[in-house]
Amino acid sequence: MRTSFVWVVGLIIALVAPLAMANPWNMPRGVTDVSGEIFSLHMIIFWICVAIVVVVFGVMFYALFRFRRSKGAEAANFHENTTVEVLWTVIPMLILIAMAVPATATLKQMYDVSDAELDVMITGQQWRWRYEYLGEDVAFTSNLSTPRTQISGEEAKGENYLLEVDEPLVLPVNRKVRFLLTSDDVIHSWWVPDLAVKQDAIPGFVNENWVRINEPGIYRGQCAELCGIDHGFMPIVVEAMEEEAFDTWMEERKAAAEQEAMGVGREWEFAELMERGESVYGSICASCHQAEGQGAPPTFPALAGNQALLDEPERHISTVIDGVSGAAMPAFRNTLNAVEIAAVITYERNAWGNETGDSMQPSEIAERIADQGE
Amino acid sequence: MGLWKVVKSVLAAFLGVQKEGRRREDFESGKPANFIIVGVIMTLMLVVLVAAVATLAAR
Ligand code: HEC
Ligand SMILES: [Cu+2]
Repeated sequence: MRTSFVWVVGLIIALVAPLAMANPWNMPRGVTDVSGEIFSLHMIIFWICVAIVVVVFGVMFYALFRFRRSKGAEAANFHENTTVEVLWTVIPMLILIAMAVPATATLKQMYDVSDAELDVMITGQQWRWRYEYLGEDVAFTSNLSTPRTQISGEEAKGENYLLEVDEPLVLPVNRKVRFLLTSDDVIHSWWVPDLAVKQDAIPGFVNENWVRINEPGIYRGQCAELCGIDHGFMPIVVEAMEEEAFDTWMEERKAAAEQEAMGVGREWEFAELMERGESVYGSICASCHQAEGQGAPPTFPALAGNQALLDEPERHISTVIDGVSGAAMPAFRNTLNAVEIAAVITYERNAWGNETGDSMQPSEIAERIADQGE
Repeated sequence: MGLWKVVKSVLAAFLGVQKEGRRREDFESGKPANFIIVGVIMTLMLVVLVAAVATLAAR
């Protein structure tokens, strides 16, 4: 009988251990020192819990079996046992304190955002992330790039279904990077398991967090705070590069940003604007106004064949720059540059059967935005 | 009833374990006001102690 008991306990451990280690179910060890520490804590505490379960249920099942009524066991009838009660109060307390000490040490590290070499502002928006390398003049939005046809089931789902973006957040390895997180609309949460970062992005607040990545690679995550209809469609992709490659990338991005700034000053061809506008529309506007501009009335108005809008170019421009307060239409003044705004308006006024022939110049848009700023 | 006895009973209450005999004794010979006053003071002391430990750990 005693041996059968040992067998049962052995079987339970043999079943639990591989489950705990198997990757798809367990949390990842991650690629930062902090994530490694969190993983170790998680495993240590897990095994402490397993040991407690085995002891407590072992004793209980053993007693149930050994002292069963059919074998003539009689119930003991006593009121209290202070020694046992003190023991089972004090021992769990000591176990909890023993777990709290290393956990607190790790927490302190996680909150220490001092001495960062790079600051990245992360802004949540319905439904994308915007990344801004502070002090570097480099900023971009990162949109879901999974094709709509995969989402609707017309096409087979890809390997990184709903976990892929047009522009990943690029970070260097071996440098301390500080994140400043906020939101333009509702509460989002920036979560990348391999970096052990899950931080709320709250409108009106700036939360801080940091990473120092040890291994180059691509790390994926998702928004972890229910933020509206497309909550599942605003993934995060971090591309960690070797330091040199990162510096080169940063130089290229800065040069491109300068180029873009110069682009505002020159005259744009209609065809150029249409091409640029189509790509902006596809990555930013189509999630609400739909691929063919047909909208999703009554919430999201159609832009194709919207005669009232086509008759009022002024309102078209101001809607895109300032948004519609109280409705889901965001202001794009800060998230798109003048070239992109001019291009997308031109595109909307000449695509899907709209034939106004209007074309907006980036310089006009830049002027309007500058006037508003004063 | 002595102060030390009241303190011990309050400590036992913090832990949530008390001997039946001691409990009966407290109820028969103790005054409620004593337990309340000592209880409030010791709770404040516990709060200060936990705050001190937390401040120390945060350094
Ligand atoms: C988050 C969803 C969302 C996104 C993204 C979005 N819009 Fe809108 N848009 C709306 C909603 C909602 C309205 C209706 C606002 C109202 O109640 O008047 C609207 C209205 C408009 C209108 C005015 C239509 C009319 O009939 O008055 C224009 C023009 C427009 N959007 C252009 C754009 C452009 C250009 C983009 C991309 C750069 C874009 N929108 C992205 C939700 C969105
Ligand atoms: Cu979100």
